[in-house]
Amino acid sequence: MLVGAFACAHTPQLIARPETEDRELVLRVHAAFARVRRRLEMLRPDAIAVVAGDHVEAFFLDAVPALAVYAGADAAGTFGPYEYRFPVHEPLARAVVEQGIERGFDLLYTQRARLDYAFFVPLHFTMPAPEVPIVPLHVNVYLPPQPTPRRCHAWGRALGEILGARPERVVLMASGGMSHYPGTDRYASPDFDWDRRVLDTLRDGRGAELAALTGEELDKAGNVELRTWITVLGAVGAAKAEVYCYEPSWHHGNAVVEWTL
Amino acid sequence: MDPVNEMHYRFPPASAYPLNRCLYALKSDDAFRARFLADAKAAMAEHGLDAEAQAALLGANRDALVACGAHPYLVFMADLRLRMARGTGTFEYF
Repeated sequence: MLVGAFACAHTPQLIARPETEDRELVLRVHAAFARVRRRLEMLRPDAIAVVAGDHVEAFFLDAVPALAVYAGADAAGTFGPYEYRFPVHEPLARAVVEQGIERGFDLLYTQRARLDYAFFVPLHFTMPAPEVPIVPLHVNVYLPPQPTPRRCHAWGRALGEILGARPERVVLMASGGMSHYPGTDRYASPDFDWDRRVLDTLRDGRGAELAALTGEELDKAGNVELRTWITVLGAVGAAKAEVYCYEPSWHHGNAVVEWTL
Repeated sequence: MDPVNEMHYRFPPASAYPLNRCLYALKSDDAFRARFLADAKAAMAEHGLDAEAQAALLGANRDALVACGAHPYLVFMADLRLRMARGTGTFEYF
């Protein structure tokens, strides 16, 4: 069953803070992550299904999947000085692959791929004690052509049904967003107004409207990663979002959100 | 103008595969990053970069790299990982 749903920023400056970043802002985002961790300890999940966009770490141009499921015994990676490894909830991962394909989603699965920091950063700050296994779920956000928002929403709806029918207590966590333009000439001017409009929509429980966005609109708003949120929105339906924080830095709209199920 | 060509993140041209492969290695391959820091020209030769791409990468010229077909995110993270490895600036790790 689905017992909780969250969305968390994962920008690397939150874990490896250069001098360019406002320390107080970073600590306020950490405080929001700590709230998520306390909620996870209350929710007592058997697994956390993390929906993130691999940042060209596991999947380079040699093979570019739209949607992927990590179904190995564990999932591991490195980022700078960090080396991390999480057990994968194998029965749940396998159920997602098998039933996802049965429902018409042609998923890639991997038992070996490296786990990107997009999965690691939120877990670093929010993993409850004792640690619970994860199911990493990749959505292609950076290598065009990405799956459409509508497709992400449909996948999320199927995912919600699959997880909802399972005996385990499962939390869904989207990793990514909000507005940022890494590596482009717009890096220093994110679209914070666009973000705030989206957050209002989510507070109202109207997240399904995001399925009608186009890939061009997401790219223009610096929100290619919102595909991970839209996937989770497919699973949570009309649940209303509580915004734990929205912290606009000079290059990034950092948001942490819970959907009250 | 084709709206797709005005996107921030575009379909990577196949001609830029060697450059993107090199940026990916700078981002994700610690051993390659160390070789690049020791001898950038030799490291770039491993990936067969042409003169234009080599000049753009040696100059850390983002616009020139993107004009060569580099994926902007790979440019961004290769640069960040090189700065982390060089120890330029200080990072606070949490």
